[in-house]
Amino acid sequence: MKLCEFIRPTSLSEAREALRELGPKGMPLAGGTALHFMQTKTPVTAVDITRLGLSYIRQEGDFFTIGATTPLSDIQRHRAHGWAMHEIARNISTHQIRNVSTIGGNICRVFPWADLPVVLLAMNAHMVIYTGDGKEEEVAADDYFAAQPAKRFNGGNILTAVKVPVLKAHQGFGSVKAARNAAAFSLVTVCALLELDDGRIKTARVSAGSAIPFPHRLPSVETALIGREAVSAVFREAAAKSGTEVKWCAREGMSEDYTRQLAEVSLADALEKAAAYANGRTK
Amino acid sequence: MKADQNTVSFTLNGELKTFATEPDEKLLTLLRREGYRGTKYGCGQGTCGACTMILDGRAVYACLLYAKQAEGRSVRTIESAGTFEEPVEFQKELIAAGAVQCGYCIPGMVMSATALMETETVFEDEIVREYMDGNLCRCTGYEKIWIALRKVLDRREASDKAGNNSSAKGAK
Ligand SMILES: Cc1cc2nc3c(=O)[nH]c(=O)nc-3n(C[C@H](O)[C@H](O)[C@H](O)COP(=O)(O)OP(=O)(O)OC[C@H]3O[C@@H](n4cnc5c(N)ncnc54)[C@H](O)[C@@H]3O)c2cc1C
Ligand code: FES
Ligand code: FES
Repeated sequence: MKLCEFIRPTSLSEAREALRELGPKGMPLAGGTALHFMQTKTPVTAVDITRLGLSYIRQEGDFFTIGATTPLSDIQRHRAHGWAMHEIARNISTHQIRNVSTIGGNICRVFPWADLPVVLLAMNAHMVIYTGDGKEEEVAADDYFAAQPAKRFNGGNILTAVKVPVLKAHQGFGSVKAARNAAAFSLVTVCALLELDDGRIKTARVSAGSAIPFPHRLPSVETALIGREAVSAVFREAAAKSGTEVKWCAREGMSEDYTRQLAEVSLADALEKAAAYANGRTK
Repeated sequence: MKADQNTVSFTLNGELKTFATEPDEKLLTLLRREGYRGTKYGCGQGTCGACTMILDGRAVYACLLYAKQAEGRSVRTIESAGTFEEPVEFQKELIAAGAVQCGYCIPGMVMSATALMETETVFEDEIVREYMDGNLCRCTGYEKIWIALRKVLDRREASDKAGNNSSAKGAK
């Protein structure tokens, strides 16, 4: 993407006003690492949003609030009781990219390989969007990721924060990113949030991304889990239902069937991790 | 907010500098144009690490950043690390280990290792790998680079344990 101008607003309202006026000729710039993946016919004005105080992680009641321009490396380093975002953040690209790429950049324009949308779908996160005049809108993950979120920002709106629930004692989260090597784009990313009650699964949120065109919840897998015992056989059986709502795609060197098998094995692993977390066996 | 579009000012290796630039210019292009050629151009798309430099204390790829993103920040390049006559400790160990073949990846490796040593105090393999995971070397197979780095880090850990905080000065 070519830039014709670079502006550095000093407040959120100033940034939104500039973006609203610029329309399609403007673009928020966070880490700027995704601009290489984007093509536009005409050069755009970059509106730098990294100096607006939107880089932080704080616990507020039942949520961790992550500022939109928080780099992935800060998410990776953060530790707190009931926090589980660090594992997937560590698995995104390289040290240098994680130091620059932000959570907002990863989810405001969703690329098929993006890992955080998968996590945020399973976690039932809420996205906070500044809509101007001091007003904010909070959008739940299912709604936010129902379609390409980039449309929401066309009018100059700016994502300000992501609210991730603090995991409770009986809840557990697990994620698996299958890739050729540690820095590679995902072949398939899957996440699971389980709530256990006396060894049985009370609620489940399961999601997938990368081997499908757009990140997606997997309701058939969730239904196959609820009320059942949290054991490996049940996880494998549930994982086998994933093909009901998504069609796993063939990728470079991987047949459709290979992708499906990889996804099912990864799902079973993510469910094991989530159950182990809920049972307090892992950090 | 619409500051001058055609200049950028930042602290480069400890000195405040102002450079001519344009909104679309990458920081790597600017640095190399201005004579800081130690920072290498490898892939130009954030996958090799040859262009690694330190921005406000963190290792980043100069090829992905727009020069204007550095406004008001602190930029450190390999030129701040050592000279041919006076290499820094890791550079000496790289030479001693025979870890430098074509040498193209080395400035980036040194900058990532610098960020590691300045940020962390414990150098478990897992942490070291994390800091070095964005630097590719197509010649050496990494073994000797790892051995050289491990020597420096082990020395630091030992020196920290002995309560000597001047470990950064390193071995002669
Ligand atoms: C080599 C490489 C490998 C990568 N590998 C992976 C990977 O394996 N998995 C993965 O998930 N990611 C990966 N990424 C990172 C990812 O694809 C994006 O580059 C990154 O998440 C974008 O973050 P950014 O802060 O740089 O966003 P930017 O590039 O600044 O912005 C991206 C888009 O989002 C918009 N935007 C950003 N912030 C906001 C906001 N707060 N409000 C409204 N709009 C906003 C911008 O206008 C732009 O359209 C990789 C990137 C690179 C370069
Ligand atoms: S040149 Fe920047 S990462 Fe390869
Ligand atoms: S020594 Fe040649 S790339 Fe590393």
